[in-house]
Amino acid sequence: MIDFTEEQLERYSRHILLDDVGVAGQEKLLQAKVIIVGAGGLGSPAALYLAAAGVGTIGIVDSDVVEVSNLQRQIAHFSADIGAAKVESAAAKMQAINPDVEVRTYREYLCAANIRKILAGYDFVIDGTDNFPTKFLVNDACVFLNIPFSHGGILRFNGQTMTVVPGQTACYRCSFRSPPPPDAVPSCAQAGVLGAVAGMLGTIQAAEALKHITGAGELLTNTLLTFDARTMAFRRIRLKKQESCPLCGPHPVITELADVERTVCTVQ
Amino acid sequence: MKTAIRADVFQDLKGVGCPMNLVKTKVAFAKMESGQILGLILDNGPPINNVPRSVIREGHEILSQEQLADGTWSVLIRKA
Amino acid sequence: MQITVNGETEELQEPAVNLSRLLELRRVESPEMVAVQLNGEFVDMTNYPTTFLQAGDDVDFLYFMGGGSS
Repeated sequence: MIDFTEEQLERYSRHILLDDVGVAGQEKLLQAKVIIVGAGGLGSPAALYLAAAGVGTIGIVDSDVVEVSNLQRQIAHFSADIGAAKVESAAAKMQAINPDVEVRTYREYLCAANIRKILAGYDFVIDGTDNFPTKFLVNDACVFLNIPFSHGGILRFNGQTMTVVPGQTACYRCSFRSPPPPDAVPSCAQAGVLGAVAGMLGTIQAAEALKHITGAGELLTNTLLTFDARTMAFRRIRLKKQESCPLCGPHPVITELADVERTVCTVQ
Repeated sequence: MKTAIRADVFQDLKGVGCPMNLVKTKVAFAKMESGQILGLILDNGPPINNVPRSVIREGHEILSQEQLADGTWSVLIRKA
Repeated sequence: MQITVNGETEELQEPAVNLSRLLELRRVESPEMVAVQLNGEFVDMTNYPTTFLQAGDDVDFLYFMGGGSS
């Protein structure tokens, strides 16, 4: 058992008090490794909450720099960070919240050539990416590497999330199959998004990671949780692992990782 | 009334308020074997009103609870 | 004929409604941005015209939602 310092006992007291987390759960958190793909709207709140929770090792992947238009929702980045790498900006805030945490930064664009190497060894992945090719790539890599992950998406006032335990529960491809045609896709940049919606969704994803690590509660598996912040209506859509899934079904046609069109990739 | 039961682990939580007294109790339990006995000294007021209740909720057994001359409480708990 | 769409009961007034028609009736602007689940099973877009709804069917439109980072 870890010998908690007096400061750690105080810092994690609200977790230790929870019957479903307790001392053992907090130890698991301190020993866990979670990686967040995207240090943006979803990745920001997820990164801050996971750091605050004392997740021992947190990886964060993003190739972008902070822009002023990010600040309305990407709460790990401050005005003074404009121009800085998002991963460095986020890492600084995570360390400032909790020096117990080791942050590993990956200033790279995830692609088929680098994703295995980056995700391997992590216990849980949070998908906070902004585009479908990368979302599908994260799904495929997690299924191949057998790493549970949380899918997340936001648009305007809406959010959706599901947790995938590869081999056991429905994967993203079970329900969504393949990326929609690029010309049909409205991006956040074109469509807009309510800033707090990113916080709601990214925070749900962080909670799923904490639940997975501690074993508390039931994961959001075989379920797509969707909400509309205009009415605050939440809905759970029942999903199931599909026999016809091209990735995790009994007759897979996707047997290796591949980049989908429009995924700009430069491996350093 | 004096109790003859001996505590395997003892924690003096005099001056430790809520909820840190419960946090420290849980940490002590985490290091103990099932069936072992934890002795606590708890302040009068919220600590003695809350800690035993939470401990019972988690399935442990309160063996005795007595107020000492200085107003604090001596509590013996068997780990579930 | 009654079916359930996105968790809510819906009365279909027309006979022989296929999934393509249902997407029109529900005013789904870009069907490419929706995955359709019929009674819990994924339906490929190419099968929408030949998939006719029956009373009691349970249809979910799962919207592609991509934002998150930039």
